[in-house]
Amino acid sequence: MGDILSVFDMLSWFPENISTFGQELDDLFAIIYYISVAIFFLTFGILGWFLVKYRSRPGHKGYNYHGNNIVEVTWTILPTILFAGIGLYSDDIWEKTKYSKRVPKPDVEILVLGKTYGWTFLYPGADGKFGRNAYTDRTARALMTATNPFGKDPEDPASADDFMMENQFRVPVNANVVMRGSSQDVLHSFFLPHMRVKQDVVPGTWMNIWYNAFKTGTYELACAELCGGGHYSMRAEYQVLSKADYDKWLDGKVAEVAAASAPVAEAPAADTTAAAPSN
Amino acid sequence: MSSTTLAEHAHVDHGHAHDDHGHHHQPWYRQYLFSTDHKVIAKQFLLSSLIFLFVGGAFALFIRWQLAYPGKPVPVIGSMMPDTWVDAPGSGIITPEFYAQLLTMHGTVMIFFVIIPFAVGMFGNFCIPLMIGTDDMALPRLNMWSFWLIPPAGLIMMSAFWVEGGYAAAGWTSYPPLSASIGNPALKLNGQALWLISLFLVGFSSIMGAVNYVTTVLNKRAKGMKMFDMPLTVWALFITAIIITLGTPVLAAALAMLFMDNFLHTSFFLPDHLVTSQKYFGGGQPVLWQHLFWFYSHPAVYIMILPLMGIVSDVMATFSRKPIYGYKAMVFAIAGIAFLGFIVWGHHMFQSGMNPLLGTTFMLSTIVIAVPSSIKVFNWLGTLWRGNIKFSSAMLNALAFVSMFIIGGLSGVFMASAPVDIYIHDTYFIVAHIHYVLFGGSLFGIFAGIYYWYPKMFGKMLSETWGRRHFFWTFIFFNLTFFPMHVLGVGGHMRRIYDPNVYDFLKGMAGLNEFITIAAIGLGFSQLILVGNILWSLKNGRKAPRNPWRANTLEWAAPAHPGHGNFDRDITVYRGPYEYSVEGRDLDYWPQWEPGKSVTVDHHTIAVADDAGETKVFGAH
Ligand code: HEM
Ligand SMILES: [Cu+2]
Ligand SMILES: [Cu+2]
Repeated sequence: MGDILSVFDMLSWFPENISTFGQELDDLFAIIYYISVAIFFLTFGILGWFLVKYRSRPGHKGYNYHGNNIVEVTWTILPTILFAGIGLYSDDIWEKTKYSKRVPKPDVEILVLGKTYGWTFLYPGADGKFGRNAYTDRTARALMTATNPFGKDPEDPASADDFMMENQFRVPVNANVVMRGSSQDVLHSFFLPHMRVKQDVVPGTWMNIWYNAFKTGTYELACAELCGGGHYSMRAEYQVLSKADYDKWLDGKVAEVAAASAPVAEAPAADTTAAAPSN
Repeated sequence: MSSTTLAEHAHVDHGHAHDDHGHHHQPWYRQYLFSTDHKVIAKQFLLSSLIFLFVGGAFALFIRWQLAYPGKPVPVIGSMMPDTWVDAPGSGIITPEFYAQLLTMHGTVMIFFVIIPFAVGMFGNFCIPLMIGTDDMALPRLNMWSFWLIPPAGLIMMSAFWVEGGYAAAGWTSYPPLSASIGNPALKLNGQALWLISLFLVGFSSIMGAVNYVTTVLNKRAKGMKMFDMPLTVWALFITAIIITLGTPVLAAALAMLFMDNFLHTSFFLPDHLVTSQKYFGGGQPVLWQHLFWFYSHPAVYIMILPLMGIVSDVMATFSRKPIYGYKAMVFAIAGIAFLGFIVWGHHMFQSGMNPLLGTTFMLSTIVIAVPSSIKVFNWLGTLWRGNIKFSSAMLNALAFVSMFIIGGLSGVFMASAPVDIYIHDTYFIVAHIHYVLFGGSLFGIFAGIYYWYPKMFGKMLSETWGRRHFFWTFIFFNLTFFPMHVLGVGGHMRRIYDPNVYDFLKGMAGLNEFITIAAIGLGFSQLILVGNILWSLKNGRKAPRNPWRANTLEWAAPAHPGHGNFDRDITVYRGPYEYSVEGRDLDYWPQWEPGKSVTVDHHTIAVADDAGETKVFGAH
């Protein structure tokens, strides 16, 4: 029974929020929710009242009345004010979360690429900078293949330490994480339910995705745009780590990449296949 | 003449309705198949839409089964399902690929083969000529074709069953590159290509119908009928037809481009260097499709609801015995919605990657469009106020329309707020919204219209008892099915996923999913009552009188079961369609075709006595 009633307490169904702007989005949802509940009871109350009061019964008659302009104007203006209020208030939050010029200065920058069916991530590695790839240079799109989805240019030394992750990623807590998202084939949508983040990723274009998590833990990433039969299986996990843990993990990765790419430097012939290790 | 009785009329004017139509001498296939009679065409739309309603419903139940019981075999018919639908022959377990086909076909069939043909094809055809008091459409042959494109379109869509890969599977919105079938060799016809061809034909059908409606309304109104004497049903259909003529060509262009990308490997919607086995030129933009598609499809959601808003208004006036509150405001609201409907399409694309600046613009325009929608709701409530409300089946469905539309409109406001939409976009919240407006709104409106006009359509009364039962079960199961979907959406449950259980954050919702499925099965089976009632009453229904609801609009001046040519007397219009409960009259209605004088005082109409008095009521009984 409690379960059934909880359906009416809609707000209780949100998954836990872990991002800084998430609370604002949830609050905005709650405001509209309470307004809606009020309008719902008001209109359904009036409806029910009229249906009972004016039901047909012997001796009762209808009333020929064609309406009144003052009333019409009133009930045009009132909802306009209400809706405009919601719109203007919403727009502040929208600009803050999505406008390109409002994307914060990244503490961590990651590339993410959707594919049927999975997610690949590219970290800038030891130098903290991406080398030439499909994001930093449009012409590098020509290098994109199934094994080198980001079109990393093997000739560019700055590219060598950029490393890939498959279906999982890690970010530090309390840091501005900026991701640039795209797709290598069809549309996907990068959805972090606990962060209240959603952004379609479109092949050929890079989208800004940013957030700042205030809680550590392991959470889920889902695809929210139909991308084929396996759409449902585009699940990935991510970890929000404390700064220390994150740095430790990153150092480990950097060392791993350096070790893996060392022999490649001596045998350049092999470097087309030396896509970054992924794990 | 004015005091002639009904029987005399029928006698005297007998030859009149038929004289130049040669109705009796036509071979059967001209009467029943390739008829140019708008009423026959309306019945054809009714039949095809009803069939597709059950096809689309069956698709939906498969979807629901999978969501409630992922990986379990479909009961009863599971072992009979074709091998391409299931993971192993005879297993009855739906594959993820077939699941995507199911959800695509469900949406496509319901929107393009059920709601639009019902709302526009059936009611447009049936109501417009009768309600403006004319013999037929302005362009009857074009009208016939507008129906006869539907069966081939449906067959083409369904024939994807026999091609490799099955039905289209990119959703009813068919976003490329997925819908360009980028792994598919050129010149190989797949389900998606068939989908595109089929919708192209449906678009043609819509345009032919719409051109006809506009022409008919402008040119063929009965003597004395000004535009503002038209019932809201006609207004709504007229404005809807204008939307169709403006919007559908854009859809057609987009479909043609996508077909070329799919079949000929052009790149209207495909960027360079996709990682795929096929070669494309590149240079296209996937999001362009979304702009074109929604430029049509947002107005199309109004194509799907405006006619029903008109119908519901008429039903409510009749059964409240009251004029529509704010008739002109209602007309302006319809026109306002139609106009604004063309500048809000981007609210479907807040997260699509279009410039976020446009998000602001489209959010504001969308919020503006909620205003005429609320005006309509208030005016409906105003119409009930001080009425004399009779709860017929038609009225019950109309009331369901209003109340469910309120809920659908409110959920629309959540999504119209772009930042709120970030989280709920592409979740079950959207699915809940769609169904509150399209099932709770449009379909209940369609039911209201069917119950209301069935007597004129078939000359028989529908069973009210079964009508109420159908309404009751549909209304209950509808809410049990779709209300909890809001909750799923708030929980983050994505739409169009095959198996929610792979996600930890969705684990708590399995119970809700199961509950929804059980309700959905009930909802599906409740519709058998409607079909049963329609068929049973056809044979056993009480013979319908000419004007069973004592309504004012012109269709009720026509014989109980009008033949080709509609009217058996000349129609002149003397007043607006909503003069119910006029002071100074004994009867609580005053048909548009009946002479008589009145004055308007302070928004009331008062009849002015003249010699002929009540005896002139034609069609009264
Ligand atoms: C107050 C009026 C309404 C508002 C503010 C509104 C707003 C919206 C918004 C913002 C979306 C996009 C949500 C998203 O994908 O994230 C949407 C989707 C939709 N709306 Fe409405 N809506 C309204 C009325 C209607 C009506 C009357 C209909 C149809 C009769 C309708 C049919 C749809 C459909 C079919 C979709 C989903 C399309 C899809 O993605 O499959 N809406 N609505
Ligand atoms: Cu996906
Ligand atoms: Cu829309």
